[in-house]
Amino acid sequence: MISTVIGVVTLVYLFAGLLFVGAALWQQERLNRAACFLLFCGLAAHLGAFAGRWVQSYQLASRHAPPEAFTATLRLVVLQVPLSNFFESLVFFSLALPSLGLLSFRRHLRDFLGAMVALLACLILAYASLGADASIKPLMPALKSNWLLIHVLTAFLGYAAFGLAFGAALLYLWQARPTPVASRRAASAVLHDLDRLIYQAVAIGFIFLTLGILTGAVWADQAWGRYWSWDPKETWSLITWFIYAGLLHARLVKGWAGLVKGWAGKRIAWLAVLGFLAVLFTYFGVSFLLSGLHSYLT
Amino acid sequence: MPPLFSDLTSRLWRNLTSIRLTVILLLVLALVATVGTVVPQGEPVARYLARFGPGMGGFLVRIGLHHIYRSPWFLLPVALLTLNLLACLFRGLPQALRRVARPLTWETAQSLPERGRFSLPPGSDPTPRVLKALRREVGRPRVASPNPNRIVFLVERGRFRPLGPYIIHLSLLLILVGGLVSLFCSVEGRLLLLEGESARSFVLSDRSERPLGFEVRLDDFTVRFYEQGIPAEFRSDLTFFQNGREVAKAACRVNYPVTFGGLTFYQSSYGTRLDGPLTLKVCQGQDCHVLKAPLRQVLTLPDGKAQLIPVRVASNLHGLGPAVQVAVKSGPGHPKVFWVSRNHPELADRAGTPFYQPGPRRVLLEDLPFKFYSVFQVRRDPGVWWVYSGFLLSLPGLCLAFLLPPQRWAVVLTQKPDGRWEGRLLGASPRARETFTAKTNRLLARLKQKL
Ligand code: HEM
Repeated sequence: MISTVIGVVTLVYLFAGLLFVGAALWQQERLNRAACFLLFCGLAAHLGAFAGRWVQSYQLASRHAPPEAFTATLRLVVLQVPLSNFFESLVFFSLALPSLGLLSFRRHLRDFLGAMVALLACLILAYASLGADASIKPLMPALKSNWLLIHVLTAFLGYAAFGLAFGAALLYLWQARPTPVASRRAASAVLHDLDRLIYQAVAIGFIFLTLGILTGAVWADQAWGRYWSWDPKETWSLITWFIYAGLLHARLVKGWAGLVKGWAGKRIAWLAVLGFLAVLFTYFGVSFLLSGLHSYLT
Repeated sequence: MPPLFSDLTSRLWRNLTSIRLTVILLLVLALVATVGTVVPQGEPVARYLARFGPGMGGFLVRIGLHHIYRSPWFLLPVALLTLNLLACLFRGLPQALRRVARPLTWETAQSLPERGRFSLPPGSDPTPRVLKALRREVGRPRVASPNPNRIVFLVERGRFRPLGPYIIHLSLLLILVGGLVSLFCSVEGRLLLLEGESARSFVLSDRSERPLGFEVRLDDFTVRFYEQGIPAEFRSDLTFFQNGREVAKAACRVNYPVTFGGLTFYQSSYGTRLDGPLTLKVCQGQDCHVLKAPLRQVLTLPDGKAQLIPVRVASNLHGLGPAVQVAVKSGPGHPKVFWVSRNHPELADRAGTPFYQPGPRRVLLEDLPFKFYSVFQVRRDPGVWWVYSGFLLSLPGLCLAFLLPPQRWAVVLTQKPDGRWEGRLLGASPRARETFTAKTNRLLARLKQKL
């Protein structure tokens, strides 16, 4: 049932993405609105699937060890949040991306940027259904912690925001390519908009990534007796964090002429691209290429 | 100061406080950490030689890449970043504090750019109307009346934003200090306890022993499994003794460490160990004998024709349960070596398996007295508190820096000679133009609304 819903949602995202592309090519505002609506419907179903999976894994766990008091029930609900393996994290990643787009960046979610968000979500979800093990497994002892929910939630919201910044950065670099003089004026307004969007998305992502790293450290301190052990996943999240901290400060670097205006534009966009590549490596690369304490994900 | 020297120091200061340096250092750190994930950390030197070849491996070890986070490759940029951070704090914090200490006043509001005009009819009191509009759209205003025919409403949001980045930077310093304290002042070791066993000391990572300062006993170790055979919980029941008296009991589980006497115990791993001799049954047809067999001791079988040695034991061999590997020697030639499974004696007849027993004699395993042992990570780390206070401090910093952009509005009402009130809306928000413009437009529309 849930896997069917997820399959349908994947298609809905694909269709929404195509509508966004159409809106961009034919300059049709109506198509943009239709795509937004479709994305919204897909998101609602996606949220339903997420909740359904949560209920399922709760039921499974409570059959094994029925909670007695109300607080124990609540605890089990928190523990069984479906964020504990690769499949579930992919589903949440692809859930966070359009949610963030629709909630925080509604105004920008159109044309090619809308298409990127919808298609990226579609791609991740398709990968989840085809390439990851969807069975619900009971929680191993190390994952039984209240920190699981907040740690994974914040980390993936951060990833989603960085994904958005990545989309905006790609568009920026595409728009900023050398063009005939005539269209430069129009392009520069768009570029200014995209530049601000990159900054805003990175700022949100940075907050969440920081929270993700901090909660992860607290959890590691409790579970492994060490808040930081240079495990590859930790290290790569730190690398990602360094890159985005670099981006945020690069905007403040004074130009050669002593102008207050920071490095804006292309270099920032490249840093946003680099940062998201680091995000992807933290998420996929580390799990598959490097081994470490986080490798239960695979 | 001689000019050259002062020139040099001012250059140094400029570079130390420059954000360009910050960006470079952050990217350098990203690169160094990347190297740290490509070259495995903290392994024996021989591994590097085997993995990267003698030339390359030796080179990596010589320049310290096998302990990169304790080598100058990492520590130097971190130290520079710390200096950079301190210099920025030193330079920027006073200015930020001064800015925060100066709230929006009528004098400073006059320099805000104008965003729109409106006018209100004579006769009625305009104050409630403007107050309501401001409260609805942007927030509670302060009201001033610099002279009788002028009323000023001031709204300021995000006044403390300039402190945000500095709070973040301070919290980073706390975390860095915590890291240093952890590096130099923490004690970390392991403790292995058999069920029923107690200890007064634990083993540090350099294999030296260190007294606990008290006595701890493992009363019981339990593993709970799910139906699928996946472990659900590891639990060690501990009792602590001080001067021979029992003072505390606690259950140590994964994610739930136990702290006693300044040391924290983390459930780290577990295992089983043989506890006493095994019980074997040796049969030849219907003729069976039960034997007690200590591990690795030669045993002559009752018929006197063969000798048997239990070589090693496994608590769960190939998922088939407890088993013992025995070597049986009868006459000249090599001894026969096979495993004996407690739960599956029928495997002895299955040729080609490690359990196959050639010949007419059958060795059965009656009892394998296993006992659990539990391994704890034992730690005292005074750096944690620094790190945690840094974590806590960073939260308001992040909120201030990113979520509360400074926004200022002023509504200036001036009464004209004909009794009409002329209003001007001023305001600015350099960091949040979009939301500011949207709010300002809504506010203006509300102020212009006909009654
Ligand atoms: C890992 C190290 C660092 C982190 C995570 C960090 C974090 C931040 C953050 C989140 C902001 C707010 C950015 C924004 O509003 O867009 C900021 C601003 C700033 N940072 Fe850092 N920072 C670090 C190191 C440094 C260092 C070493 C310096 C010294 C030059 C520095 C100087 C500044 C300045 C001048 C601002 C702007 C303050 C303002 O807007 O009033 N930062 N930093």
